[in-house]
Amino acid sequence: MINLAQKDVKHTLGKFLVTAMGVGMLLGIVLIMIGVYRGMIVDAQVLLNDIKADLWVVQEDTLGPFAEASRIHDDFKDTLRVIDGIKSAEALTFQNIQLPQKPQPIRVVAMGFDPLGTIDPINPERIVQGHGLEREHYEIVVTDTTGFKLGDRIPLLRHSYKVVGVTHGTVSSGGDPLVYISLKDAQELQFSYSNNRIRNDRARGFKNSEVLMVNTVVAKVKPGYDVNAVAKEIKRFKYKSVYTAAEQKWILTKNLVKKASKQIGMFTGILIIVSTIIIALIIYTMTLEKMKEIAIMKLIGIPNSMIIKMIAQETLLLGFLAFIFANIFSHLIYGKFPKRVVLEIPDAWMLFIVVIIASILASLVGIKKVINADPSSAIGG
Amino acid sequence: MAEQAIKVENLVKHFGKDESLVRVIEGADFQVDKGELVALIAPSGAGKTTLLMMIGCVEEPTSGTIWLGDEKVYDNAWLTKETRKIRREKIGFIFQAHYLIPFLNVIENVTLVPQTNGVSKAEAEKDAMALLDYFDIADKAHSMSSQLSGGQNQRVAIARALANKPQIILADEPTAALDLTRSVSVVKMLKKIAIDQDVAIIMVTHDEAMLPLCDRILKIEDKKVVSQAVPENTKMI
Repeated sequence: MINLAQKDVKHTLGKFLVTAMGVGMLLGIVLIMIGVYRGMIVDAQVLLNDIKADLWVVQEDTLGPFAEASRIHDDFKDTLRVIDGIKSAEALTFQNIQLPQKPQPIRVVAMGFDPLGTIDPINPERIVQGHGLEREHYEIVVTDTTGFKLGDRIPLLRHSYKVVGVTHGTVSSGGDPLVYISLKDAQELQFSYSNNRIRNDRARGFKNSEVLMVNTVVAKVKPGYDVNAVAKEIKRFKYKSVYTAAEQKWILTKNLVKKASKQIGMFTGILIIVSTIIIALIIYTMTLEKMKEIAIMKLIGIPNSMIIKMIAQETLLLGFLAFIFANIFSHLIYGKFPKRVVLEIPDAWMLFIVVIIASILASLVGIKKVINADPSSAIGG
Repeated sequence: MAEQAIKVENLVKHFGKDESLVRVIEGADFQVDKGELVALIAPSGAGKTTLLMMIGCVEEPTSGTIWLGDEKVYDNAWLTKETRKIRREKIGFIFQAHYLIPFLNVIENVTLVPQTNGVSKAEAEKDAMALLDYFDIADKAHSMSSQLSGGQNQRVAIARALANKPQIILADEPTAALDLTRSVSVVKMLKKIAIDQDVAIIMVTHDEAMLPLCDRILKIEDKKVVSQAVPENTKMI
């Protein structure tokens, strides 16, 4: 039996492929959108996974430094260290800073930590050049996307910082490049003001007491102790909010990304609807172009089922090819996005199912046209 | 004695109803036998194509009776739901233009209906090659219609109409787009087919020059179908 769809596609192969490519690019954007969301989730967890803290202690009644402003005294780490079950505790700061880079400054998140402390937040596997921080002042570890190289000197406020290490893949919870400086330098950068401002504050009787503040204190729990029980103890007696690693992960991946995921979900949904409409319009146009042939086929006795099969097969083939092109297109461009885009195979399969369903729906438009085609229209020129 | 291919009794076709009622055919009675080439003539709008479509089981008559071969297919209603199957098995169609399926090559166009009827691909292709050979276009079997001349395409279209071994061929102005020489050639070919393949052919035509090549004329006059012999004074070409 002659396969009409195969013959028709072969006859207009170039046009068919270009059409599939166009739809594929649209579907590729759907994959990229999903990848952006996945990237946000991954980015949100990079820092969390690198620090490997069991507990995050933050300002009372706040969700912590990733969600809102959180200030606690840096000596709270000493208080934590004596609590039963705590193995180690260190203070951390997070702040947005601009690194002078050409042609324009680059915005990064700087994490401050004690290089001589017991918790090193730099994942050694991410260091591609140099080493981590070893001194308490004027050293910086940058991520490779900042464009700085090992040994470069970066002027910040009143000092010059030497790049002692370059990492790969370190980002803040928001996906911005992450750099590391010592806690003391971070506090100075965060709370030091210009000479004029200091003189003015002194004249007003203000004292700069914020210099000893940090954004969070992280702690590791001794083996054998229940993390939740230790957290409960800290919460009860020390008037701080405490989050376990699991809770912090929830805050980062669910709470903070919730609106963004809805936003992207809406976009993805709209794009899928638009793709379905476009496939339907393409199939409708392709069917319209063949109406004379369809009328002739009906007149000479070709059953509807055979003609409908042709339309359905062409639609499914168009959807399948568009899906292939979508994957090729998205894999070609995803690396060029400034923030992380994560393309996952399950997402691609989900899109495949959606495309097949969309194609079946779209083919109904062409099939309706076939069923209604009048065979007598073939006669009379 | 000639075998009946088409028999029509008291065939009526109206369009619309009440005030918008249009009476197209009012009681057609005629018979066409196998081996006959019959011309169907009438002024434009008189109902030639409608009559052709009723015989071809495409347009449902208002009333009457139609036999195709010895099978009664219409008796004030279609006697089968599968009128398309009747077309596929008993009737061949030839149009003004060749109307070949552009995405099929010559042999695929010719074998499409037989294969749909359940004939194996090998057998359908063997029969198709014989037909293409008959029309002297066997060497074009694997060409696309866009690669053929107008005349070659028309011959392929006729081969397609014959491929399902029909009892009847309905030709809708097959010479309308051709010059006189080619028209004569096509009608002579149809006459030869009618005899060689033992089929009845009804050919709608406006061209009186083609009438002497036909065996008989069916003329629609005052909504009636009248059977006439070919006038003796018609000039033979």
